[in-house]
Amino acid sequence: MRGDLDLVWLGALLLVALAVYWRLDPTLPRPATITILSAQFLPLILAAAGQTVVMLTGGIDLSLGAVLSLGMAVFVTNPAGNVVASMALALAVTVLAGAANGALVAYAGLPPIIVTLAASFLWAGVTLIVLPQPGGQVPAELVRAYNMGWYGLALPAIAIGLALAVWKLVKTTRFGLALYAVGGNEHGAFANGIDTRRVKIAAYGFAGLFTGLAGIGLAIQTGSGDPTIGTPYTLNSIAVAVLGGISFFGGVGRMRGTLLGALLFGLLSNLLLFTGISTFYQLILQGVVLVVAVAVKTLAARERVA
Amino acid sequence: MMAALTALRGNRPLWAFGVLVVTWLAAILFAGGFDSVASVRYLVQTASFLGIVAVGQTLVVMMSGIDLSVSAVVGLSAVVCAQVAAGSGGTVAVLVALAVSALVGLVNAAGLIWLRLPPMVMTLATGTVISGALLIYTGGSPRSARIPLLDALANGSVAGIPLATILWLAITAVAVWLLHLSRLGRYAFALGTSEPASRASGVPVPVTTLAMYAACALLAGVAGLVLLGFTGTSSLTMGNPYQLLSIASVVLGGTSILGGRGHVLGTVAGALLLTLLTALLVAWNLGEGPRQVALGLLIIALLLVYARERRTT
Repeated sequence: MRGDLDLVWLGALLLVALAVYWRLDPTLPRPATITILSAQFLPLILAAAGQTVVMLTGGIDLSLGAVLSLGMAVFVTNPAGNVVASMALALAVTVLAGAANGALVAYAGLPPIIVTLAASFLWAGVTLIVLPQPGGQVPAELVRAYNMGWYGLALPAIAIGLALAVWKLVKTTRFGLALYAVGGNEHGAFANGIDTRRVKIAAYGFAGLFTGLAGIGLAIQTGSGDPTIGTPYTLNSIAVAVLGGISFFGGVGRMRGTLLGALLFGLLSNLLLFTGISTFYQLILQGVVLVVAVAVKTLAARERVA
Repeated sequence: MMAALTALRGNRPLWAFGVLVVTWLAAILFAGGFDSVASVRYLVQTASFLGIVAVGQTLVVMMSGIDLSVSAVVGLSAVVCAQVAAGSGGTVAVLVALAVSALVGLVNAAGLIWLRLPPMVMTLATGTVISGALLIYTGGSPRSARIPLLDALANGSVAGIPLATILWLAITAVAVWLLHLSRLGRYAFALGTSEPASRASGVPVPVTTLAMYAACALLAGVAGLVLLGFTGTSSLTMGNPYQLLSIASVVLGGTSILGGRGHVLGTVAGALLLTLLTALLVAWNLGEGPRQVALGLLIIALLLVYARERRTT
């Protein structure tokens, strides 16, 4: 119940942001604007979805930005010769990278912070080998269809919907249940016969899938690849997930919260652009949103206990 | 005798020195150019930049914290110093840079104490805010500066030992006193072992947190100044390598990432080890990508070998 109330507040904030946005940009409800906005928000939404899966197990992924760049780099170098096969290959690589992170966390007895921090070096290095400089190419028709609409359909919005629908299905499976169980009480989950290690590896693998999709989306949106473009997504995905009500300690929170959080975060960033002040302020906004979101959550929780 | 051996096996900081010696010997045997006095001098000089940051990181890790804003503070201190020096001269610039750095540490601690934020979140956020603030402050193009004092500190030497290294060792000595001999250090260890228990037994949590995070940020600031002296230029990203490497130095130095266990001297070995490994990878002429891959793999491997924690959750 309490979580739902949080989501209502978040939804209300989002409506306010939308209303302000609409005033500044009257084209907001038009399909073209929706297509552009969804293309712009897709990487953040999916990256935050990936971070959410990991955080639900009580972990954290500081290598997310590097894995995002990796997926983008593999995709734009077009190793398979055609777009669909390259996409599949990029996703396979990011899922493997995520699962490798998960295996280290599950088997090494090392805290996720330090494992994924070290892994971020590794994946950033692999990305630089795949794509040493910004470059690569995405077929122009695809870029146009994705950003301008395809027979009036907002492809990025559909992609987001599909990814979240997949997640909704996964959540109803045994794995989905086990994910929350491991995050809520790892010992209890283990005692109840859940293979906690496998659950963790699968969770980080899933994060890799979402992150890879985010990287591919970013590549199609911008039309090329950049080996270091993913870096800010590490922090932003955490900020968005926390904003959406995902607990740092695992087991608490919902994907729809993350979605609302990402939309709010994206709209706020755009609103900042409308005010005409330098994009440099974006970084400050991100840091402040993170601190405020977590502080409000923690202080509210303390009040309830007291 | 057996008891002594068991104690030795459990002494992770000592292990760190062992791994360092073995790696160094291997470097001398299998890669050319690591046996000359000049190369040793260069290594301890470059290790001191990382080492100073890592000593600070040790202070907060020991109390079960972590500081992910060190990379930003290294840049902050160098950029602010270069910027202020252009107008008001070197000495003022150095003082301003150090004051700003320490202030960041106090802000970090304040977030932990009064907002109850997890250290990772708070320091990640301050790091991001600093990066943004630096972009605005410099308009995206930081200055270069030659400050004689810093130049001498970074490049000078006394009796063949680089001044930067002497500074690092002096800082380490103070840190050993602060963490292992002073009352504040005992509080930090207590907090790292169990926060509820130390709160209950009257450990002054706010004072300890403020002191340790301020010291950590101050040391990151010092490292930034020495780096400024070394390179003569400041850049917004000059601190980036020190984020992961300082934490890795602490953990490879035998300090538990969960806090409460370890020694500052282990961190010295950790910083030397990582600098040596980086130098080895450079000596093999690897490109930027393969070098990062190799370093990442090496760090993960070393962590697996001797930094594993007993599962506590």
